[in-house]
Parts: sequence; C-alpha cells; structure tokens
Amino acid sequence: MSPSEAVTVGPRLRTKRYPLALFRSELHLVFGRARSWALLGVLAAVPILIGSAIRFAGGGGDAEGFLGQVAGNGFFLIVASLALSLPFFLPTAVTVMSGESLAGEASLGTFRNLLTAPAGRSRLLAAKMVSLALFCLAATMTIWISGLIVGFVLFPVGDVLLLSGTTVSLGDGLLRALGIAVLIAASLLGLAGIGLFVSSLTSTPLAAMAATFGTFVVLGILSAIPQIDVIHPWLLMYGWLSFADLMRDPPYWDAIGRNLLLQAGYLAVFYAAAWARITSRDING
Amino acid sequence: MVADATPNLPDITAQELLAKVQTAKVDGLSGTVRSSADLGLPVIPGLQGGEGGGNQITDLLSGEHTARVAFAAPDKARVSVLDQMAERVWTTDGKTAWAYSSSDREAVKLTLPAHQSQPEAAKPESYDPQAVAKQFLDAIDPTTKVEVSGTEEVAGRDAYKLRLVPKTDQTTVGSVTLAVDSKTWVPLEVTVMPRTGNDPAIQVGFSSVSFGVPAASTFAFTPPKGVKVTEEKVPARKTPAQPPKTLKPEKPVKPSGDRPTLIGEGWATVVALKGVKATGNGPLDQLLANARTVQGSWGKGKIITSKMVSALITDDGRVLVGLVTPDTLVAAAPKAPR
Repeated sequence: MSPSEAVTVGPRLRTKRYPLALFRSELHLVFGRARSWALLGVLAAVPILIGSAIRFAGGGGDAEGFLGQVAGNGFFLIVASLALSLPFFLPTAVTVMSGESLAGEASLGTFRNLLTAPAGRSRLLAAKMVSLALFCLAATMTIWISGLIVGFVLFPVGDVLLLSGTTVSLGDGLLRALGIAVLIAASLLGLAGIGLFVSSLTSTPLAAMAATFGTFVVLGILSAIPQIDVIHPWLLMYGWLSFADLMRDPPYWDAIGRNLLLQAGYLAVFYAAAWARITSRDING
Repeated sequence: MVADATPNLPDITAQELLAKVQTAKVDGLSGTVRSSADLGLPVIPGLQGGEGGGNQITDLLSGEHTARVAFAAPDKARVSVLDQMAERVWTTDGKTAWAYSSSDREAVKLTLPAHQSQPEAAKPESYDPQAVAKQFLDAIDPTTKVEVSGTEEVAGRDAYKLRLVPKTDQTTVGSVTLAVDSKTWVPLEVTVMPRTGNDPAIQVGFSSVSFGVPAASTFAFTPPKGVKVTEEKVPARKTPAQPPKTLKPEKPVKPSGDRPTLIGEGWATVVALKGVKATGNGPLDQLLANARTVQGSWGKGKIITSKMVSALITDDGRVLVGLVTPDTLVAAAPKAPR
C-alpha cells in the first residue's frame, strides 16, 4: 500500500537469524499505520464524548451504575468509558486489526515472501498474535489514559466508592481501573484469535473482518436468548462483565479467573486452527 | 457444588446427625455462597434481567447468584449479593442494620432496639444454607423419610449427606438433601430435587467457607459520600429488604394484603390467597390464556404448572399455590376462603 510497507519485507527475509526483527516489523505493521491510529483515536474519543455529554448536557446522578457516578467523581469516567466501549467499539477495533493481519499480507503479495521460508511460518503467526495482543492492550490503555485526562479536566475527583459500599483512595482506584483495562484487553484475546484464524482462510482483508464481526454478532445474539442458557457459559462474551468484580471489596476473583480461562480456551483453539492452516497453506494461497 | 469426591467418614445415623446439626454452634464464619434455582418457571424475556429494580423475586428464583456471607456470634451478619456490575449489601453489627444497593447508590439504615438483637440476627442469614436447612428440619415430621445417604465434599470440607424424602406423592418435591459438615455440623449445602428430572430445582451452598470469626469491621458500614441514606424507625420484625427471604423453598409466594390460609399438611401444604388481581400484567395474561382451565363445585380457574410450583388462579380472585401436583390444588380449592 505504501512504500514503508514494502520496506518491511526486507528485514523479514532475515528472520531466521533475527527473530526479534520479525516481531519488530510486525509491531511496525500494526502500529505504524494510519488505520491503527484512527482506531485508537476513535477509542480515545469515547471518554471525551461521554464526559462532555454528562458535563455540558448537565446529567444528574440519576443514571445507574458507573455512568451515574461520573458527575460526582471524574475517576468513574475511566471505568464507564471502558465498560461502554466493551460491547462494540473495542470488538470492532480488534476485528479490523485481526482480520487484516494475515489476509492483509496475502492481498499485498508480501505473504508469498513470508511463506517461502516454511520454518518461519509458526514464528510469523506468533509474532502476529503477540502484536494483536499488544494492540488490544494499547486500545484499552488509550481509553484509560483518555478517560483519566478528560475525567480530571471536566469533573471533581476524589476517593473512589466501590460496589461494596466501601471507599478507597484515588490511587487504589486508579490501580483497579488499570487492572480493569488489562482484564478487558485480555477479554478481547478470544476474539482476536477468531479473527486471526478467519484471516488465515482468505486473502481479502475485508472478507476476514466481515466474517469475524459476523461471528461476534452471532455469539452476541446467542448470548441474548434465555432459552439456551445452557450454552451461555461457553460463549465468548459470557464473562466479559466480570471486570467489575475488581471494584468490589475485596475483589472477587472467581468470575475473573473463569473468564480468563475461557478466553485462553478460545485463543488456543483458534490459534491452533490458524497454525494448522498457515503451515499447510500453499504458497500461492 | 463439586460432588465428585466421596470422603471416607465414620458411619452415623440420621438421628445422630440431626441432633448434631441442631446443636451446631459456630462463633463465626465467612464464605461464598452460590445459589442456583430452576423452578421451571416460564421464561418471559421481558421480565428478566430487571437488575436492582422491581422484580427481585423472579430474579432470585431464576438463574444463579453468588453472595458473600459472614457471620459472627451472636448477632453480627453480613450478606452481599454479587450482581453483575452491582452489589446489594445487608449488614448488621447487632445495633444497626444497613441495606445498600450499589446500582441506585442508596442506603437504608435501621437502628435496632437492644433487646431484640437475638431474633433479628436471623434476618440476613436466611440466604445462607444454615437458615434454609433449619426450616426443613423444623418441618420434619412423620411425612418424611430421613436417611444419611452418603458423603460428599462441599467447599473443600468433608460432609455427610442427609436426605429427606417426602412420603406423599401429592408434592412435586422429590427429595431435599443437606450436606452437613463433619466437623462443625453446620449445613453447607441444600439441594432440592424435583420429583421428575435430574437437575436440582434449588441448590444453595458454600463454594468456599472458613470458620474463623470475621473482624468486627466486616459488619460495619459507613455510608459513603454521595450516597442517599434513608433512616428508618425499626418496623418491628420487618426486614429492611426482603430478597433473600424469597429463597425459602417452602412458600415461593408473594404475600398480598390478605392473610394467606394454609390448607393441608406437610409437603402437600397449599397456600391460599384471596382478592388477588391477576390481570393487567401483559405477560401474565398471556400465560393464563394458554393455561389449562379446571372447574368444580368451587368455581372455575386456570392452572399453571411447572417443575416445582403449581398455582391455581380462580376467576373470583383466589390463588392457590404450592409445591404440589395440580390435582392436589384442585382438591384443596373448595377449602380456600372466598
């Protein structure tokens, strides 16, 4: 697409000797693009939107949950923004990035170079996955930082009221919010794994994104049907809201751990599938 | 909840076990309680997920809940129900009781009269297995077969299983099993099985428990800044908020203005209410429209049945509910006061 991407092919050919170079070029691919920055920019805008809406439209503390606490304590803008981005914005960003990852290379023709070195395929996939995970973290951290800045600028800030009715210091609260950002990033890994697999099936990035997002929507619909609650605990987003358990006193770890295990399970299955696909793929694929 | 391990414990008779249970005394405990209820109530999407709001009864009678409980003898107790992104807390240190809901950030404070501390302490406890089990123990009479049906591991502790099986076939209850800790004799888990099917209708039990006395600060509640506090005079013998009570498997019924009448005995007890307005609620109307119509000398009505609960709603506003078969309800209908 741009000359800078063609340049990345150079270091890639030497990956056998410099495994770190492969990873570095992957990172460059993920974070060196305007598209990634646009996605992160949208995420950074979420706290700004929510914050200004509450500040200037003059919302009282009527709303339930974290959102209702924003006006009284800017700290909650971080948590509320993270919570509100989780159902849609974050999955969209992850879908775009993961759908692009392998299919993007295929459509550019750079894939062929990579696949000519069979020993490097597994490593290539690992580098792709690690950069995707880092993107997930960058995405939630963007919201954390933006929420922090906007929250402190627009609202009074003070001690943090936990769900259990106890109050902790702002520093403790910020640490918990940081934990929430990390947890939500980890919650997105299952979806990233699905995206990586779908991306290995096609050479059209747009098709990969659409298919990944379609899968996400279908899982979401299944989650909303009460009659099939038997399968709900195994759906990707079942434990997504468990991050709020960090806001209890003391934090409740059971559901968080379960969610992380589920994400790890999804990731393992789809990563293995992507690996099987990419190592057996023929060069013209 | 994990029942795969069957620990080796010395034999014990049901009578010995019952005696031990009734004299069980702990100075304090804390742990996590999980409850899951599947009464086979009809699934009405519109009525579900009403978090914090209106329908706490259907909320607690369906699905799964997790609560942290703590207790210290004689009168300190705390229950916090961990909802999704919210928490409901009931706590008492013997002098003051607090109810706090994180979703609407409101707290209710109750000052308890000093002499009343003992009976009041049982209030939030009804959520934990102890109280639920006790209710069943009180109800044991010749209508019930009681046996020690083995051992199991609950919350990492070795426990005896005490099984109560109703002798009558008028009830929908298949069996009630208590898992009793073999060291402290505290009931750790209650499982109610329906007469048909293999899945528990109600299961309330510790998923983790420790028998240390929790720190006094556990039961203290300081109303946080920005939280609306309502102070209430002690309504004698009234609970600040009633949700955990509804876990009582015996009468899952909303008492209305009139005093309910009890018909029948033991497991086949039917609760009769009168003057209930059962219409005007969309989903309920729909449910009733599809329900079976029965009639007799007592009049005409609709029968709603589920795995556990049956209800007969007559055209003149009487409601009969029980953990009984529909036939038992119809038989009890003539005795229900108008």
